[in-house]
Amino acid sequence: MNLRQMIRGIAGVAKRPATIVRPADDLGSRWDTFLEKHLPTPLGKEVAEADVHVREGRFQRSLSLMAGASSVLAGLEVSYEHYKGSYGQKVMWTPVVLSGAMTGAGVWGFFNKWAAKTVLRWVSVLTLIDSLVGFLFHVRGIARKPGGWRLPVANIVMGPPIFAPLLFGVSAYLGLIASFLRPEEAPEYIDITPGRLRGIRRFFFGRRVRWTQDIREGRFQKHLAVATILSAFFSGFEALYSHYKNNFRYKAQWSPVIIAPLLMLAAALSIRSPRAARTVLPIMSLAAIVDGGVGFFYHARGVSRRPGGSKTLLYNVLYGPPLFAPLLFAACGVLGLLACLMRRERR
Amino acid sequence: MQSIDFPMHRHAPGEEVDYVIIGVGSAGGVLLQRLARAGFKVLGMEAGPFWDTERDWVSDEAGSHQLYWEDKRVTGGKNPLALGANNCGKGVGGGSVHWAAFTPRFHPSDFEVYTRDGVGVDWPMSYWDLKPYYELLELEMPVAGPAYYPWGDPHGYAFGPHPMGGVGNTLVRGCTNLGIGVSIGGPVAILSGSRGNRPHCIYRGFCIQGCKVGAKASTLVTHVPDALENGAEIRDRCMVSRIHHDTRSNRVTGISYIDRDGKECFQKAKAVIVSGYAIETPRLLLNSACAGYENGLANSSGTVGKYLMAQIGNVILGRFDEPVRMYKAPPAHALTEEFYETDPKRDFARGFAIQTVGPLPIAFAKQMMVARGNWGWGMRRIMMDYNHWSSFGLLGEILPWADNRVTLSHETDQFGLKVADVSFNLHENDEKLREFGRNKTEEVMRAAGAKEVVQEARFAHLVGAARMGSDPTSSVVDCYGRTHDIANLFVCDGSILPTQGSANPGLTIQALAARTADYLISQGTVIFNSDRRDMTPPPVRPELSPPGTHGVGVPRVANLASR
Amino acid sequence: MSSTSSGRDSVDRRPYDAKSGAPLPQREQPGYYPGFSTLGQKRFWDEATRQKVLDRVHNVPPIRFFLPAEVALLETVVAHLLPQDDRMPSRRIPIVPTIDKRLHEGRTPGYRFAKMPPDGDAYRIGLSAIEHMAKKSYGRAFGELTWREQDELLKSIHDAKPKPGAESVWEKMPIHRFWALLMQDCVEVYYAHPWAWDEIGFGGPAYPRGYMRLEHGEPEPWEVDERRYEWEASRDSVSDPSENEIASHDGHPPAGQGGTH
Ligand SMILES: Cc1cc2nc3c(=O)[nH]c(=O)nc-3n(C[C@H](O)[C@H](O)[C@H](O)COP(=O)(O)OP(=O)(O)OC[C@H]3O[C@@H](n4cnc5c(N)ncnc54)[C@H](O)[C@@H]3O)c2cc1C
Ligand code: SF4
Repeated sequence: MNLRQMIRGIAGVAKRPATIVRPADDLGSRWDTFLEKHLPTPLGKEVAEADVHVREGRFQRSLSLMAGASSVLAGLEVSYEHYKGSYGQKVMWTPVVLSGAMTGAGVWGFFNKWAAKTVLRWVSVLTLIDSLVGFLFHVRGIARKPGGWRLPVANIVMGPPIFAPLLFGVSAYLGLIASFLRPEEAPEYIDITPGRLRGIRRFFFGRRVRWTQDIREGRFQKHLAVATILSAFFSGFEALYSHYKNNFRYKAQWSPVIIAPLLMLAAALSIRSPRAARTVLPIMSLAAIVDGGVGFFYHARGVSRRPGGSKTLLYNVLYGPPLFAPLLFAACGVLGLLACLMRRERR
Repeated sequence: MQSIDFPMHRHAPGEEVDYVIIGVGSAGGVLLQRLARAGFKVLGMEAGPFWDTERDWVSDEAGSHQLYWEDKRVTGGKNPLALGANNCGKGVGGGSVHWAAFTPRFHPSDFEVYTRDGVGVDWPMSYWDLKPYYELLELEMPVAGPAYYPWGDPHGYAFGPHPMGGVGNTLVRGCTNLGIGVSIGGPVAILSGSRGNRPHCIYRGFCIQGCKVGAKASTLVTHVPDALENGAEIRDRCMVSRIHHDTRSNRVTGISYIDRDGKECFQKAKAVIVSGYAIETPRLLLNSACAGYENGLANSSGTVGKYLMAQIGNVILGRFDEPVRMYKAPPAHALTEEFYETDPKRDFARGFAIQTVGPLPIAFAKQMMVARGNWGWGMRRIMMDYNHWSSFGLLGEILPWADNRVTLSHETDQFGLKVADVSFNLHENDEKLREFGRNKTEEVMRAAGAKEVVQEARFAHLVGAARMGSDPTSSVVDCYGRTHDIANLFVCDGSILPTQGSANPGLTIQALAARTADYLISQGTVIFNSDRRDMTPPPVRPELSPPGTHGVGVPRVANLASR
Repeated sequence: MSSTSSGRDSVDRRPYDAKSGAPLPQREQPGYYPGFSTLGQKRFWDEATRQKVLDRVHNVPPIRFFLPAEVALLETVVAHLLPQDDRMPSRRIPIVPTIDKRLHEGRTPGYRFAKMPPDGDAYRIGLSAIEHMAKKSYGRAFGELTWREQDELLKSIHDAKPKPGAESVWEKMPIHRFWALLMQDCVEVYYAHPWAWDEIGFGGPAYPRGYMRLEHGEPEPWEVDERRYEWEASRDSVSDPSENEIASHDGHPPAGQGGTH
């Protein structure tokens, strides 16, 4: 693959098919036509095609890369959070190592279909398990603080961040999804399970084939909406208690606390109504993304304004407002946005 | 949180032990643990109680006085030292129970102040002899601090730094505004992440009242449990009254003590280690005077009790318009050692450090009484402003002087033992250093934005009074803590320090104890049946650390400075 | 608690409002943190601490060390050293009984200054010195003096420039050490009381629940923000000067005795 192809891969437009099949019932295709018409010429086509790729599940490369990139963020966050906890237990290294592995696997998956299907998949599964285990450790950590769960407020705020490990699992989740997708250059032909095998698969796996099949075809909007709900909850809850810890010194600290439940609501509505998925969901997702960006700015400013400022930069990054937390919040918005680009499950 | 409930081995009455350790404090706790782990029969004698922290300790300033040595003592001289809560602990863990847990290392220069600056004395060892033990103890406690600590021999800490409280932020702001380097979030022996059954700090600010949480290191939670598991015995509430000496063999044979019921008992031992700290150690040696040592046991040099040192400990307080609430976060959480070393531009030798402190209301009221002369309505008014004040501790090196000393008073205590009479005077260098340090600290406080700055003169920490040295005519013990006079009598605690730098002494005291333990272990039974003095340095034994010490924490930045 | 009975004059000894000049109403809780109650948080304290603090609040120790006449005099003195006239009588913190308890039990801070007699003796000698000074300087017993005269006499001890009448005592007992002994004992009792913590906005016991808002002086969820008011000490009082007044002794600033680091 040459550089040009690579760039196009990122944009999701490798090997464009001659014609795009657009089922008439599909809201998305109208949207694509709209985009193609109204955006400036070269851009319009590319964006529309990217949209098609997403809709049809042909974005394995870009999602692999996204999973890799987001695990860089998650990895940075976890490594300094665990540094604050002094790596007092050896398990605390696992997410650090795994986020590195996830990054590697994501990049590899971008270049190599086989890696995306195998390496990325299993690293993602491992990371997901790790994040569940981490969650349990964090719950236990809170229990073991003086007063334990009898002092839930103090100990959730001051103990290990309870949902951080699950949030860490989001990039693994993306990786897992990516491993089931088709690469961008795959033919747009929808049902790619060879006909001979279809019956046998059904026999062994029953309906389970269907969800992977749905994913391959980009039909997992509801599924992604659920993921959006969960991650918005984790991230919003983190924002809630860390801003609470800070006594909501700035009005802006309320924004993620307000947006998160709205985004969750929008995503929930989208499960029932395709319309919501094309209206409120993108609006709230965009709001989350913008808010995450603004939050990142405020957090960076907060770090630089701490006593000592840039002269004690490392410490201030460590103990100032968490730099990457707003970006992870924005990532929930990205998830939501992705969800609205998907097609719905057949079921 | 830290009740130790497994059974303790009890030696049979009349049974001779290998080592009896007098005082299970900072040094005594480490010695007990090491020697027990190496398989010796060890017995720790402790005048105070064996704490059950959940039952005995309170999260309350006035209710914690039993942690301090409150028996009778007399203090005098031109600059009399306050004792008790100011510097002396009692009970298993000793001073490490109520210390603030600042744990900076001494600098390499501290070991050779005479050679470098022509003041004080040199140590009979170098920084590099002690360094491996600093590294061990920093893991055993463990010490939290920055990944790179720039002063002295630069190094990093395995446990991450702590978040800042209001006072720390003041210090950081003041220092950076003046271009002074500052270490944030440590080094302190307070857990920044949980370890084993010890939870991490809950930032409640009661360190000096004993850490009920178990986050702050004390030998009671770091070393004593392992010592007991390895067969050591601790007899608490037993006051050692005398060390017995056999004139013919010139060896000590055991000790007398008054047990918790007031009965006097004898305990036979093959060797005795005194770890009672800078006042009780010389007092016990002086009280154990006997034929051949009429001026006090192991005192042929006449230096027992002399060269007592405290550190300049002025508290500088600043009032801020915005609230600070300095009772939150551990008192110890940031410091600067930028002024630690001798600077030829100043007119005195040696230097000082500036550290955070966090007085609770009673301590603060007493400071205001001195610093602003407050009383009556003035006291009520200033106290209503408690939450607007921040405070720094100056920590300045006072040099060893022969006239700063512990002697025996004619008064006696509740056991009929002569009490210590402590005399303390500042000398010219000390006074100049204090003046300069105080001004500098006030400058930092102002640079941080304080509108009003006041200060209280005081002293912190104690060391010396049974100092180590290579010359038997001017020191009490050698570099392993063995008395020059008697081959099976050792002193190992803060009293053996020849000089003190301007670092808090606790870490160094424990590191010295670990080194002495390694030495004793390497000598095996030679100590018990021979007067031979083998001065070969012992191998470092990391395997004697309490379990769970190694393999956790962040890999440390190795020694960056070359020798 | 007879702090209201001392002084012969009937002038209101309450502090007054700086603007209106009217005496401040006596409050359950003076200070800038209205509504803040550390005792209200007692269910978040550990058992040992709760017992200790509640015992302090509910069980005032009996007088066993001082004689009745000494108690009366000491009560008057203490009412100047730590006046509580802005507190409602039912919310004043008893100080003398706890000092008495310490002396009765013979508890020391762990040392005695070489030139000082034992603490109990120091109290007795010092109290009689105060009586002598009152007689010599005003011709009346200390208890008969006006509030202001009492304040001025005590201030002369604070300043280490004692009014005449007890020269022989101060020759033997350093006056600034006697002052420190008195003052330290008073603050040690007053500021150990939860009502005093509420007054100054101190969080009180903090285990097993610690603190989470460490920076910027932010209050915990159960603490309250500061609400300041301007006040002046009673016009008859000399204990709240606008300038700091630090007495110096033999050319040395006085040294503190608490433990901090
Ligand atoms: C308020 C305060 C804050 C401090 N902060 C710090 C700090 O931040 N950092 C730091 O490094 N240091 C600090 N220190 C100093 C530190 O605590 C001491 O230097 C250190 O604990 C001394 O250790 P040690 O082993 O020599 O003696 P100790 O730890 O005092 O142990 C001596 C033990 O011996 C016992 N004992 C004495 N005589 C007898 C006897 N005759 N029979 C039986 N038992 C006896 C005592 O009861 C005591 O338990 C602080 C001290 C105080 C008071
Ligand atoms: S501040 Fe931390 S170390 Fe100090 S007593 Fe509280 S929990 Fe322990």
